[in-house]
Amino acid sequence: MRTVHGNLGSLVLSAFFVFAGIMVLYDTTGYSDSDSKVFPQTVATVLIVFSVIAFVSGLLRPLDEEGFGNGSWWRRFALVVTMLLACFAMPYIGFLAAGAIAFAGGLISAMHDHWTPGKLVLYWGSGAVIMAAFYAVFKFALLVPLP
Amino acid sequence: MDLGNFLSALTPLNIALALFGVVAGTVIGSIPGLTATMAVAVLVPITFSMDQASALILLGAIYTGAIYGGAYAAILLNTPGTPSAIATTFDGYPMAKRGDGDLAVALACFASVTGGMIGALALLFLAPPLSQVALAFGPIEYFWLAIFGLSLIASLSSGNLIKGLIGGAFGMILSTVGVAEVSADIRLTFGSQTMIGGFGVVGALIGLYCIPVLIDLVAVPDRHLKVENDMRSVRIGEAARIALRSKFNLIRSSVIGTLVGILPGAGGSVAGLVAYSEARRSAKPDQKFGEGEPDGIMATEAANNATVGGGFIPTLVLGIPGTPPDAVILGALLVQGVRTGPTLFQSNGSIVYTFIYGLIIATILMLPTGLLIGRYAYKSIVKIPKAVLVPSVGFMTIIGTFAIRNSISDVIIMLLLGTFGWVIGRFGFAASPIVLGLILGPIAEQGFVQGWIIGDATGNLLGMFFGRPLSQAIIAFTILSLLYPAFSAWKRSRTEAGR
Repeated sequence: MRTVHGNLGSLVLSAFFVFAGIMVLYDTTGYSDSDSKVFPQTVATVLIVFSVIAFVSGLLRPLDEEGFGNGSWWRRFALVVTMLLACFAMPYIGFLAAGAIAFAGGLISAMHDHWTPGKLVLYWGSGAVIMAAFYAVFKFALLVPLP
Repeated sequence: MDLGNFLSALTPLNIALALFGVVAGTVIGSIPGLTATMAVAVLVPITFSMDQASALILLGAIYTGAIYGGAYAAILLNTPGTPSAIATTFDGYPMAKRGDGDLAVALACFASVTGGMIGALALLFLAPPLSQVALAFGPIEYFWLAIFGLSLIASLSSGNLIKGLIGGAFGMILSTVGVAEVSADIRLTFGSQTMIGGFGVVGALIGLYCIPVLIDLVAVPDRHLKVENDMRSVRIGEAARIALRSKFNLIRSSVIGTLVGILPGAGGSVAGLVAYSEARRSAKPDQKFGEGEPDGIMATEAANNATVGGGFIPTLVLGIPGTPPDAVILGALLVQGVRTGPTLFQSNGSIVYTFIYGLIIATILMLPTGLLIGRYAYKSIVKIPKAVLVPSVGFMTIIGTFAIRNSISDVIIMLLLGTFGWVIGRFGFAASPIVLGLILGPIAEQGFVQGWIIGDATGNLLGMFFGRPLSQAIIAFTILSLLYPAFSAWKRSRTEAGR
């Protein structure tokens, strides 16, 4: 669904990239070696110039962007938030428990069908098997020090 | 280069090792986060007790299998299994979405085998002269090569070049975060200890390509990939016909892959991007790259597998690793007591030639094994209910990103970058230019700064950047690549106006 909000979003993002470029230029003032500055300064200048062009052209000639469109917001939100929460909790509860939280969040947010006892057992069971298999491969075969 | 070496490569043990290496490499490479370098590094210890040629054959087979395996996730999940499969996502995933994932997997296999064979044949016949190419490339040529790769932004941003260029510049800025490679300055961390390590390319790849797909998948009840009612097996005949029709694209991409593989530090991702750019530039008007064009997949996969043979050329002849996995293999060679260098082909000819023949055998074995694994990978991905697929892939992104540097921060950055990628994607800012900037940024910066210092010291800055013949050739290709999309659009509009 293409909306006028799409153009507003483009303008906001263009402004964000201008801000990001300015922050980079500001950061380069603290470097001791001029060799460290030349590349980020050049690229940040390019970023600012193109972002200003995008912003101005967005104002003068509003773009027909898609915007956020349709779809369930709580599902998107639940997916990202549970994955992030799982990562933050990982040092305290361990990788497997954190992975289970992320998996549960993903499973609940991606489940659009009605739950039946069979699906309940099958989906959660296969999830447990997949997680256990990957955990075992990474931890014991690839020797990744999973917390 | 005699029959004896060929027969040595054909022993049952060597064939079994080549087969095992290809299968193990393909499986490891298909998991997002596990790169070809990791695949080789993980399996190096088991080669220590083997004889030298067998050890090399196993490592070469793992490497070539892993590069090919990266295509599965790129095609079926829009997540490059390895960085060298970035450009495979551009057309592979659109093909899978429209129900041609099986064809895309088969095309990737044919292209990978072709590229692998041409790279290996270049290693067999042209190693000493081609290794001189690596020496001819100075910092400026690397800089221009990176710029050439970045010129792909022009064709990836059809409809909004400015937003593509913003993405490319933003990606290059992300590549500068952390400790500067050219000095010891800490850049753009804003006091955060977490950011000192910078943005890992593989984590960023997983985030920018995979997380937006997951966010979109959970929002709607539609299926992940379109499925035909009569579930076909991998479409080998159709793929073979398409590959035969695109033989020029395959050969050109393989040659590009071999040449880029020879350049130390460039690797499969640069080779894939350059070959994709060239395939797109020379496409016919009816070919729609970025929307599921088979030539796009074949160009990338032929090029990235050709870097395997190409990368071994400077590794064996000069002792300079052409690609990161070559560096690991070089280490394994030293442990084995093989001294690489210009005299290697004379002093250890039997080992080297047996290895090259073994690499060719492994590449040939990749055809049946790749098609077989591809068939099951495709069927599995299609059949798994979305409610299980999404959390499984989500779990793989977390464990894969963590495994790269054993860092939870990397996983959090991956998730945040992925969410950011999804947001900007809704407003016309594509993820691919950011990834291009992130990958090519360090190569461009190092070449730019070194070239600047040399030019400044010699008092010939312009001559340094624009006066070298090799640089001029790359600049010419870059200009062609940048202008071609505009020229193509102009030509199309004239044709339509003429009707």
